Amino acid sequence: MENYILPPEPLTNEAIAARLTAGARNGIANGSVKKKNLVYLELNGCSGNIISLLNGANPDFEYMIGSMVNLVYSNSLMAAEGEKAIERLMNALDEDYILAVEGAVSLRDNGLYNIIGTWKGKPLTGLEAAKMLGEKASHILAVGACATHGGVSAARPNPSQSVGLQDVLPDKNMIKLPGCPVHPDWFLGTLAHILLYGDPDTDNLGRPLMFYSTLIHDRCPRRPFFDRGIFAEKLGDKTCLFKLGCRGPVTRTDCPTRQWNGHVNWPIGDDTPCIGCAQFGFPDAMAPFISYDTTRVVKDE
Amino acid sequence: MSKRIVINPLTRISGFMEIEVIVDKNKVVDVKTKGNLFRGFEQMLAGRSPFDAVYFTQRICGICSAAHSVASSAALEDALGIEPSEQGKYLRDIIHCCEFLQNHIRHFYQYTVPDFVRIEGNTLLQTEHTDFRLPKTLNDLISRHYFESLELSRLAHQMLAVLGGKAPHNHGVFIGGITTQATAEKVVHLDSSLQKIAKFIDEKMIPDVFEIAKYYPEYYRLGGGYGNLLTYGAFNHYKDIGTLYVDPLVFTDDGIRPFDEQNIQEKIDYAWFQSPKTTYSPDEMIAEPDRDKDKAYSWVKAPRYAGLPFEVGPLARLILSGEYTNGISAMDRTIARALEAKKIASIMKTLLNLLIPNTNVQKKYELPEEEVSGKGLVDTTRGALGHWIKIKNKKIDFYQIITPSTWDFSTRDENGYMGTAEQALMGTPIHDPENPAEIGRILRSFDPCMSCATHVHTPGKEVKTIQVL
Repeated sequence: MENYILPPEPLTNEAIAARLTAGARNGIANGSVKKKNLVYLELNGCSGNIISLLNGANPDFEYMIGSMVNLVYSNSLMAAEGEKAIERLMNALDEDYILAVEGAVSLRDNGLYNIIGTWKGKPLTGLEAAKMLGEKASHILAVGACATHGGVSAARPNPSQSVGLQDVLPDKNMIKLPGCPVHPDWFLGTLAHILLYGDPDTDNLGRPLMFYSTLIHDRCPRRPFFDRGIFAEKLGDKTCLFKLGCRGPVTRTDCPTRQWNGHVNWPIGDDTPCIGCAQFGFPDAMAPFISYDTTRVVKDE
Repeated sequence: MSKRIVINPLTRISGFMEIEVIVDKNKVVDVKTKGNLFRGFEQMLAGRSPFDAVYFTQRICGICSAAHSVASSAALEDALGIEPSEQGKYLRDIIHCCEFLQNHIRHFYQYTVPDFVRIEGNTLLQTEHTDFRLPKTLNDLISRHYFESLELSRLAHQMLAVLGGKAPHNHGVFIGGITTQATAEKVVHLDSSLQKIAKFIDEKMIPDVFEIAKYYPEYYRLGGGYGNLLTYGAFNHYKDIGTLYVDPLVFTDDGIRPFDEQNIQEKIDYAWFQSPKTTYSPDEMIAEPDRDKDKAYSWVKAPRYAGLPFEVGPLARLILSGEYTNGISAMDRTIARALEAKKIASIMKTLLNLLIPNTNVQKKYELPEEEVSGKGLVDTTRGALGHWIKIKNKKIDFYQIITPSTWDFSTRDENGYMGTAEQALMGTPIHDPENPAEIGRILRSFDPCMSCATHVHTPGKEVKTIQVL
C-alpha cells in the first residue's frame, strides 16, 4: 500500500490545505520559497471552478493572491480588458509560471468555437492558448471535470468537439483535479504543495492522493445502511442512496469528511445520491443521475 | 474620421465576450456584442433522463447554476403535472435567494468596482485606464470592501449549501421543491448568516454604490437603451402570502402590461445558426450551428417579445414592481443591483419565518408513458430565464433554453432592432479611444453571463461536412 494515504478523519477537513498553505506562507516569508506566477486560464466550460475557488477559506482568495502566488491572468477577475489583458497573458510566457486551466479544449473548426481573446488583431482560440501556455509552464493543473477529461463540455454528442487538456498536451506532466466543480481545498492544497515541495504524489490518473485516494463509499456515514440492506426509495430519505443511483461506490474523493462550502454539507448529506462529478467519464458514464427504477421489483419477466 | 474599437475579452464577466464598436467624432455610432463560446447544451440534453436535466443544466453556468436548477425543476413539474407544496416553494425560493445574494455581491465588488476604484497592491487588479475619481480615503475604503465582500458572497454560497448540499452546482433543488428538510438548526444557521449579509448590504454595499454614483454622475445618462423592460415574475404567486416581489409584467412606450408568454420568439438572422425559419417560438425548433454564416457575428441568438428587444434584470424588476423610479441607465442598473440585494435579503427572511421544520416535500416521481411537454419561466439574478422541455418515451426529446443574457446581449434582427446592450452603447461619448473605460462600464451594468447566453444548440443531428477531393 505504498503511496496510499487515508488521512485521520477529523483532520482532513481543513488540516491538509491549511498546513500546506501555512508552510508556503512561511517559506515565502523567509525566502526559501519564491512567490511564483500563476496563470489561470478559462476555456470551454462554465467558469464554475473559479467561482468555487472564491469559496475557499483558510486560505481564501485574498491570501492566495497576496501570499502564495502572483495571479497574472484571470478572465473572470482581472481589471485589464481586451488586448491589454491578452498582452499580460503573453508576457507571462517570459517568466516562470504555474498554469491552471479550467474548461475543456474545443477542437471544432480548429478551435474557433471557443475564442478567449484577440491578439494582434487576430482571434486567440482556447486551443492555441492551451498549447502555447502548456508547453512552457513549470507545472500544469487541470482544474475541474472539463479540463481533466472533457466533462460536461464533452457530453454526448459533444457538439463543440471538446477534449480534456491532456489530449492537446500529450507529453506534458499535469496534475488532474476532477470535480464539477473542483473543491477549493483540492485546488489550493495542491497549489500549496507545489510551492512547498513540488508535485504531490498522485495516482496513475494524475490525481493527488491526499484528496482523491479513498472511495466515497468507504467513508460514507450511510454505509451501515448499505451493509444492512436498507435503501432509500426517494430523494430526501435518510438511508443508503445506492438504489437511487448513488455513484459513491466508484467515486474517489474525500467529500464525506471534507464536505463543501466551509464544510457544512455535501450531496449525500443533502439526501441525494452522489452523481460521480469527480470521476473520469462524468457526466455520460455517471448518467442517469437519479433513477427511481432501480428499486423496482421485477415481476413476470 | 471613424475608428474601430475591439475589446476582446471583456473581462470580469462570466464567459467570453467580444465588443466591436465604431466611434465617429468621439461618439459610438455602431456596436456589435459577440458571444465567443459554444457548447451545445440543448443537443446534449436530448436522449437523457428528464430528471437529470435539473443537475445537468446547472453546468451551463458556474455563477448562476441554481437558477437553471430552479427553471428546470419548474419545467419538469409543468410537464409531469406536479404542483409543489407551499413549503416546497418556500424552500426552493430560499435557495434561489442565496444565489441572488452571492451573485449580486460578487458582481458588484469583483466585477464592477475595479472599473471605478483603483485597488492598489496587486497587479491582477491594475488597469490601463486612468479615469479614477474617488478621493483616496473613499477609494481605499471601497478597496477594502472588495476583499471583505469575498467573505460575504462565500457565506451566501454556504447558506445555499446548507439546504442545497454544495455550491456551485447544488443538489437540493428538485421537483417538488428541494430534496432535504430544513431542521430548526438549519433555519437558525441560515438566519444567522443572513443577518451578517444583510448588515453588509445595508452598511457597505448600498453606501458604496451611491458614493461611486456621486463621482460618476454622467452614467445616469449613459447606457439607457430602448427602455423596454420584462420580467417573468419573481417570488410571486404564493397561495397564502401572494407576491413578495413582482408579478409577470412588461413595460414599453405604451406603459405596463401583463406578460404573455405567447409573445416570445427567437430570431437567428445575425447569429451563427441555421434553421428552416429564422423566427420561431421557443418550443418550435432548435437552430443548428453554422460558424461560416454570412453577416452573423455571435453565438447569441435574439429573443424578442412582440417583435421588440427587452431589458431584463434587477432594474427591470424594481421598476416593474414600482420600487424604483429614477430612470434607466448604466448607473441606475448598478444601483438597482445593490437595492435588489437588500430586497432579496428581506424576502429570504420572510420565507425563513414561514418554514415548518422537518417538512419532507419529496415523492417517488414517475415519468408518463405518453408524450408530455412543459415550461419553466422564472426570473433569476440576471433576469428572465426560460426552459422548455418535451418528454417522449421517458427521455428528453427537446430542450430549449432562453437565458437572461440572451435577452440583454442579443444580436440584431431583420427588423433593424439591435440587441438591448448594443442599443445602450449607441451614442456613448468615448473620452479616450485607446482606453475606452465607458464601454466596459456600460456593458457590465447588465451583468453579462456569456456562459449562459451561448449554451446553445441542436437535438439529434450532426452538422454535415463536405470533403472536397
